[in-house]
Amino acid sequence: MTTQLTPAPRPAALRAAAGEAPVFGGSSLLTQIRILTGRSLRAMVTDPGIVLFGLIQPVVILFVLTQVFSKMGMPPHFPEGVTYLDYVLPAILVDNAAQSAMQSGVGLVEDQKNGMVARLRSLPVHPGALLAARSLVGLVRATVQVLIIMVLAITVLGYSPNGGVAELALSAGLTVFISFSLGWAFIAAGAWLRRAEPLQNLALIVIFPLMFASSAYVPVADLPGWLAAVANVNPLTYAIDASRALALDVPGLDHAIPSVVISAVIAVVGMVAALRGFRRPL
Amino acid sequence: MSGLVTPPVAQPGPVAPSGDRDLMIEADDVTKSFGAVHALDSVSVGVPRGTVLGLLGHNGAGKTTLVNILTTALPLTSGRARVAGYDVAREPVEIRRRIGLTGQFASVDGQLSGRDNIVLIARLLGAGRRAAGARADELLELFRLTDVADRRASGYSGGLRRRLDLAVSLVGAPEVLFLDEPTTGLDPSSRLNLWEIVEGLVEQGTTVLLTTQYLEEADRLADSIAVLSAGRVVAAGTAAELKATVGRRTVTLTLDTGEDRGTAGAALRGAGFTPVNGEEDPRTVVVPIDATREIAEVVRTLDQVGVEATELTFGEPTLDDVYLALADQSAARTPV
Ligand SMILES: Nc1ncnc2c1ncn2[C@@H]1O[C@H](COP(=O)(O)OP(=O)(O)O)[C@@H](O)[C@H]1O
Ligand SMILES: [Mg+2]
Repeated sequence: MTTQLTPAPRPAALRAAAGEAPVFGGSSLLTQIRILTGRSLRAMVTDPGIVLFGLIQPVVILFVLTQVFSKMGMPPHFPEGVTYLDYVLPAILVDNAAQSAMQSGVGLVEDQKNGMVARLRSLPVHPGALLAARSLVGLVRATVQVLIIMVLAITVLGYSPNGGVAELALSAGLTVFISFSLGWAFIAAGAWLRRAEPLQNLALIVIFPLMFASSAYVPVADLPGWLAAVANVNPLTYAIDASRALALDVPGLDHAIPSVVISAVIAVVGMVAALRGFRRPL
Repeated sequence: MSGLVTPPVAQPGPVAPSGDRDLMIEADDVTKSFGAVHALDSVSVGVPRGTVLGLLGHNGAGKTTLVNILTTALPLTSGRARVAGYDVAREPVEIRRRIGLTGQFASVDGQLSGRDNIVLIARLLGAGRRAAGARADELLELFRLTDVADRRASGYSGGLRRRLDLAVSLVGAPEVLFLDEPTTGLDPSSRLNLWEIVEGLVEQGTTVLLTTQYLEEADRLADSIAVLSAGRVVAAGTAAELKATVGRRTVTLTLDTGEDRGTAGAALRGAGFTPVNGEEDPRTVVVPIDATREIAEVVRTLDQVGVEATELTFGEPTLDDVYLALADQSAARTPV
């Protein structure tokens, strides 16, 4: 006797789109950017380590410098009626902007390492979508970090700049914009180099010294001659001066336009370079 | 030189491209060079709709390179390739809308849960929130991932990660699925699970290109097999044809000394066997056999010429045996 075997029904999940149109209709570039940004924001919320880790260097420098320098006499060209904390905080925000920018590049490298980029390449997803998402996530991260530093400085250290609330917000906004533009430089570096170490080295070897060769911690006029020469052409000086002028209501606002223009140029060049680097085969 | 490339299996198997069939994957004289490295050299394969092509080859044979070209991740140096009827160089987006890829290394976002990984891809493909969630539930269940669905993928074992990876590549219900060494590093039960899923997909009409280093896997899943060696297709045909070339099983004899190999080889050939010298150990001889009872015949033949085997192992054919048999064949054909 033979029993008629009926094949077990196959789960609907196995249905193939054989010969039909793809089951999902595709998404626009904007939707792709939104979805990929949401993905990284979600990861940031469930694992806030990245946000906090990035804060370590700026916050440590902030505490150390204010503790050390407030015990010492101020250099001759130090602005009148300004505490060292008030003076250095805008620089700390710019330093944070650079650190956060570096993390945007590292994030892209991680996507390349864990296979996310390989996956996206096999899908109808625009290559620019992931880059834009990394940039937008960086924008959010930099904003959150700026807020945390400001709150820490105001509540714990007693930061009380002379500028009004609107100027303070503009000053913070400028540093976030700088982070955005440096973010594109690092995203481009990540797309070309495809390794995290060179990005971290870039931040350590280039940005860290450039912070010292700028108006960040001491007025340029008080720097030794050669360092002052570097500081005078250092874009970070423009950024810090502008941010400081807004927050503290001191001279230097004339540096705002150059710093915005330089940042915008870096952002545009970074975008083009990032897209070109990213399009190369893995 | 090109004469040596002629696939030893004479009949034009289903692998040979032909214009009138409904080919979902078609590579025509595809060549890929990385500088001086010729990763692919005039590779031609064709996969009819709803069938599985097994691409067999050792590390470095060029399997991943071919998969990358067909999935539009890599431009080809010369030749032509079409997937689902679209040209890889001119219509990559149309191809990407219709394929799924499970790469050699898992491509999942460790920071997201298994479910969110699937939802992410579904949303990128244009699914709404609800449709994406429903698709995720279906796939999680199919791949027995429901229990771990809400855990971060970074905590998954290798087997779980592989399964999630495959689930993610099926989100868009692709017409053509590429699996690059999908079971390398999997435990036997996960491997079986994956085989069953692939069989189910094929039953539903999916076309599959699968690369593997295991003859057993190609034999189980593939309708046709192409053997890749140093960037060339050195054999093509059905699994049955390939196995007929190889011999169904092998006996590996370890002899006292290397010199005994000559005596043993001559005697075995005299008895109608086609022994091949083992490559790793200079004292071994590999003898393809058709049935288990032929082992006795092998031992008797050796006994008659006074050669003793210190060790005798019996094995299912492996990819090595395929290469050995192919090398043996082409050596036999080369006029001396
Ligand atoms: N991006 C690359 N640059 C240079 N050589 C490569 C690259 N990718 C692969 N190759 C070379 O091409 C050959 C085939 O590699 P691959 O396709 O990865 O083989 P398989 O997947 O069969 O192991 C190897 O010799 C490998 O070293
Ligand atoms: Mg490979």
